Amino acid sequence: MTKNKNWAKIYLFVVFILLYTPIAYLIYYSFNEAGTMNQFSGFTLEHYAALAEDSRLLIIALDTIRVALLSALIATVIGTFGAIGIYFSRRRQTKNLLLSLNNILLVSPDVIIGASFLLLFTLVGFQLGFYSVLLSHIAFSIPIVVLMVLPRLEEMNGNMITAARDLGANHFQVLKEIILPSITPGILAGYFMAFTYSIDDFAVTFFVTGNGFATLSVEIYSRARQGVSLEINALSTILFLAAFSLVAGYYFIQQQRTRHKLAHMDPTNHEKAVTP
Amino acid sequence: MLTEEIIVSFDQVEKKYDKESVLKSISFELEKGKFYTLLGPSGCGKSTILNLIAGFTTPTEGTILINGEETKNTPPNKRKVNTVFQDYALFPHMNVFDNVAFGLKMKKMNKQDISKKVSDVLKLVRLAGFEERGIAEMSGGQKQRVAIARALVNEPDMLLLDEPLSALDLKLRTDMQYELRELQRRLGITFLFVTHDQEEALAMSDEIMVMKEGEIIQTGTPNDIYDEPINRYVADFIGESNIVEGRMVEDYVVSFAGKRFACVDGGMTSNEKVDVVIRPEDLVVNQADEGGLQISVQSQLFRGVHYEIVGLDDEGNSWMVHSTKKTEIGKRVGLQFDPQDIHIMRINETEEAFDERIEQFSGLSSTSEVRGEGADD
Repeated sequence: MTKNKNWAKIYLFVVFILLYTPIAYLIYYSFNEAGTMNQFSGFTLEHYAALAEDSRLLIIALDTIRVALLSALIATVIGTFGAIGIYFSRRRQTKNLLLSLNNILLVSPDVIIGASFLLLFTLVGFQLGFYSVLLSHIAFSIPIVVLMVLPRLEEMNGNMITAARDLGANHFQVLKEIILPSITPGILAGYFMAFTYSIDDFAVTFFVTGNGFATLSVEIYSRARQGVSLEINALSTILFLAAFSLVAGYYFIQQQRTRHKLAHMDPTNHEKAVTP
Repeated sequence: MLTEEIIVSFDQVEKKYDKESVLKSISFELEKGKFYTLLGPSGCGKSTILNLIAGFTTPTEGTILINGEETKNTPPNKRKVNTVFQDYALFPHMNVFDNVAFGLKMKKMNKQDISKKVSDVLKLVRLAGFEERGIAEMSGGQKQRVAIARALVNEPDMLLLDEPLSALDLKLRTDMQYELRELQRRLGITFLFVTHDQEEALAMSDEIMVMKEGEIIQTGTPNDIYDEPINRYVADFIGESNIVEGRMVEDYVVSFAGKRFACVDGGMTSNEKVDVVIRPEDLVVNQADEGGLQISVQSQLFRGVHYEIVGLDDEGNSWMVHSTKKTEIGKRVGLQFDPQDIHIMRINETEEAFDERIEQFSGLSSTSEVRGEGADD
């Protein structure tokens, strides 16, 4: 029994070492004075300083975030209504068809999506740049949002909608007062998912970008091809820390919320409120 | 009956789902201010009737009038009818106040009126002071009250209750039965209550409609339905009963279990095959030579309030007796009962014919009782 446990621990340890070593390696060398990743000669922050002065890279970073925020927002709106549409489609066949179409988009390789977007944009004469990137990001984010929102809808007690109608709510009021509040966690999850996917995306963006517009992943790729500058390391370190603090923050909020809930669930509270 | 007193009327209403008939041409009328119960096993169409009145579904055939108006194109939010759902369907993202206030907010009532009305109705269901509570923090019984308050605050002409007590434990359920009945009397609005629990139906209703497979089998007061079930199904569904086959010898004389007995029913053809019902609590255990029937006791079960004794008569019919006195297994005992304890049911009689016959013979029952005494032994 203990032996098994030890093996499990060792396994986990090895997996995490494998996953995190490259990142740690990268972070470690971002502080290297030597300017290469061959040998660590001394601690420096000069790569970070260089990063701060590299206005092109900063603009690209801001553009990346801009695309991510906007595309995630628009995709969330469209995807949420899409999910509601699928949820309310009466016929099982229609529902399954729509779901399948959604899932195909999720699993199809980015390269194919990117290539087909490039084809489409050139065909209709759409100029490549910020808007083409934004549009394609919206497109590949929608299925993600649908996938995050739909389970929330299925979980929701459908009788609530009937009850709201019964109490005099029209369709719009049902949506605003009942459905949207019930699926808010799914919508938020969908938004953050879409945001991450957008920040993350290389393949699609690589195809549809142009006219000097680039996102971080594309820029890093092209710079890495020219020979690695440790500025990239510094940038990656910052991105990693940002992601890390996001996860930590999320964990912290989650903890607080469960504690809050538990305090309210206290069964003794009932009696306290009954006797004034 | 004046038409103003009728709140809901169904005229040959039929409902089909994918060619399968869940309601088969149903007609009935509900009067204002009464407590009605739709009673039947699950899948008999009782909830469908509720959904039709609330407007959640539309009839395939026939017309439904609410307050004398055709409702085919009236959506649920435009009907002065509110529903209490089996699972309450409360809004978990709102507190008690907002749940109850929902209907009023949808009508864009001003805030002061809303908070007055909400606190009034919460007082009515004994939940004053619970306004700020979250739904997750309420117990089952409290949720039930919130659901009732949420419906009542809209001042509906009619309240529909879809098995609202089935999720509660026995004690709470009994309390809520009293409270619901009390509430209905106080408010004077029509309640239509759906249940598969016959005790609930008997305890609360002004009138019960017993349903089976999409049809209303019998309508009547709890007493009528219990004492004069129209057929084997109703007798079996409402309470425990002994049902045996018999023959009507002539008016006021029936033969079953190999003997002749005086009874208070009539109007059948001579020698007609009938079902005979005697309720277990109407049978009295006596000495073997006393009483109309002799049974040998097969089993005896202590039920708390009474003993449940089951025995076989000489013809092999099984009889259940509820008795406060103990007997012994294997012992031969006599069962005593009065002529009015015998309920005769014609096989395949329609409700109209049944009502007419009961009407005709209930008036004569006092005289027949006197005649019955002699024929008993």
